[in-house]
Amino acid sequence: MELVIETNNLTKRYGSLTAVNKLNLKVQRGSIHGFLGPNGAGKTTTIKIIVGLLRPDEGTVKVLGHELHGGKNEGFLQSFREHADSRLGIGYMPELPKFPKHLKGSELLDIYGRMYGMTEQQRKEQIPKLIEMVGLTGRENDLIGKYSKGMQQRIGIAQALLNNPELVILDEPSLGLDPVGMVEVRELVKNIAREGVTVFVSSHLLFEVEQVCTDVTIINRGTALASDTLQNVSGLLTGPAMIHVEVTQMSQNIIKAVKSLPFVSNVVQTGNTLVIQVTTHENVRAQVSQAITRAGGIIVDMSQKTSNLEDVFLQLVSKDQEGKPQ
Amino acid sequence: MTATNQERPRPSWFTRFWAVVRYEMLWNIRKKKFIAIVIAAFVLVTVDLALPAFFNVSKNPAFAATFSVGNLVFFLIALVTVMNSISGEFESGTIVPLLTKPVSRTMVFLAKVFAAFVIILVTYTVLFIYSTVGGIVVYGPQDNLQLVPLALLGNVISTFVWVAIILAIGSISKSSLFAALGGLVLFIAFVFAGSIIASVSNEAGALNYVPGVGATGVLNVAQRSQNITIQNITVSMNSVSTGTDNIGTNLVNYARYPSATVNITRTDVFSTPPKVIQLYTESIGFIVLRSIAVAFAYILVFLFVAWFAFKRAQIFE
Ligand SMILES: Nc1ncnc2c1ncn2[C@@H]1O[C@H](COP(=O)(O)OP(=O)(O)OP(=O)(O)O)[C@@H](O)[C@H]1O
Ligand SMILES: [Mg+2]
Repeated sequence: MELVIETNNLTKRYGSLTAVNKLNLKVQRGSIHGFLGPNGAGKTTTIKIIVGLLRPDEGTVKVLGHELHGGKNEGFLQSFREHADSRLGIGYMPELPKFPKHLKGSELLDIYGRMYGMTEQQRKEQIPKLIEMVGLTGRENDLIGKYSKGMQQRIGIAQALLNNPELVILDEPSLGLDPVGMVEVRELVKNIAREGVTVFVSSHLLFEVEQVCTDVTIINRGTALASDTLQNVSGLLTGPAMIHVEVTQMSQNIIKAVKSLPFVSNVVQTGNTLVIQVTTHENVRAQVSQAITRAGGIIVDMSQKTSNLEDVFLQLVSKDQEGKPQ
Repeated sequence: MTATNQERPRPSWFTRFWAVVRYEMLWNIRKKKFIAIVIAAFVLVTVDLALPAFFNVSKNPAFAATFSVGNLVFFLIALVTVMNSISGEFESGTIVPLLTKPVSRTMVFLAKVFAAFVIILVTYTVLFIYSTVGGIVVYGPQDNLQLVPLALLGNVISTFVWVAIILAIGSISKSSLFAALGGLVLFIAFVFAGSIIASVSNEAGALNYVPGVGATGVLNVAQRSQNITIQNITVSMNSVSTGTDNIGTNLVNYARYPSATVNITRTDVFSTPPKVIQLYTESIGFIVLRSIAVAFAYILVFLFVAWFAFKRAQIFE
């Protein structure tokens, strides 16, 4: 698989504070890669290095095949190299983006489009489409200085998709959005990924990452604690998972049928409710429901705790924090 | 399907540069400060036109060709045009989306300098048209009108000395306030140093190498118009200054009197009555060449400093 972002021992210090510590990040082409970590974990710092706003102290970064920055020992002149072309295929939405107040929303997109070398025709097609996509229709001719925080966030998403990028980097895209906006962003990310775009999205919202991402890297104190497919990372969780089932009428048949499923390790009954302990973290609700129905039960409620990522996250982060002062 | 980088067309350097110029123009022109200073410049030009007329209403056919918007306007225009053109991007955080577009920092820097040049050129063109028309109204028919563009060009160069200084301070400090205050302190310091040196020391020649008015003297040509006498001091209408602020006027002097010389003098204000002391003599051609060289040296050095700081800057904002 081709990597669109690859960092090697990436390190960045702010004075005595090491914000990013020997980070090896690998983002596969075509994936939706969640970059998850608590506040101050080093997400924004890593992203700023990837887009060329900060210089790393150590390590290397490769984005879309371009080696950025050049290591410290490559010499002074080498460090002057600009990588403007590598940004032609990247769309980036900064954390809480700020745009010139004196420009109108549509003007901003038009000027940025020119910087990408888009023709007048391309801009005419793309800009109204994007404005509609992010829900700013009717406000595109207002000055950005008059936009609300959420509207600035929305124009930020629009400008990140302007150039039909192959890699979209979003730093906390749903920060400051209302609940509807947050759902919209998730849908939008899924939609652009469907077109083959790689999305690298930072977040500290677990459910957000869990709902849209295919891959996830968990970072804390600048170090990756886990980095794999969502499924494999969820699988890092030790201990059994639980399924709760409520039926209209409990019977021994039902219990027997459930117990006979290969992945069930234990069943506890309380009234009309069963708590089923399973050995897998995959979604097995369909099999359980089939078995119960066949045994003559009618299910009124069933839940499997799917937010395994949250457990993994808390487990990994608290383990990492143990004994170390924050 | 999205295009990969290999099949993506690479826009030319110029296309991207031009996009940044547009970006810069739009938000500069909409700045309230800029509009205010253009109005202020009009007021100053009006005063410049009207004030001498109160002392001496005689005809001056050379008014338009020797007109200069003056050193205060140079400084103020430079200040409002560029005081936040780099530092303001840092302060407002707009530098982040800008520098992550496929434009290089060198490109952004050059576009900002170019935009400042265009804005200043256009502003001065309008002011010079105004002063030419005003000159005809106040001082009668004007000669040498073909030299007005030369005066304008000189004024733009003079202003760019301040543009470069203010950009450099702004780029290093990333603060518009520092850029404005630093520029103001230097401006005042040079003006004061200039007048002090000019009145107490014979080393007026040193003033040729700092931004500002320079040394003063008298152009050795036939009287161009009547002298003005205010409280026993006679101000010769042939008076010239040699510094970077007077490139425009001296270019016109050179075009009109290519082989003229200038007697550099200083006025000893402590003797009664004030006495004009003769210092040395230079040719007008040499004076104008030197002031242009000094101006360009400052412009290049400070623009380089500004570029270097901008190029190396990490974006923490
Ligand atoms: N400009 C700066 N100067 C000094 N320290 C900084 C600077 N920016 C970030 N830091 C520090 O670096 C660490 C990582 O910050 P970073 O912004 O990368 O975290 P983050 O993961 O993006 O957090 P959040 O979820 O809050 O956005 C933090 O401890 C932060 O205090
Ligand atoms: Mg952050």
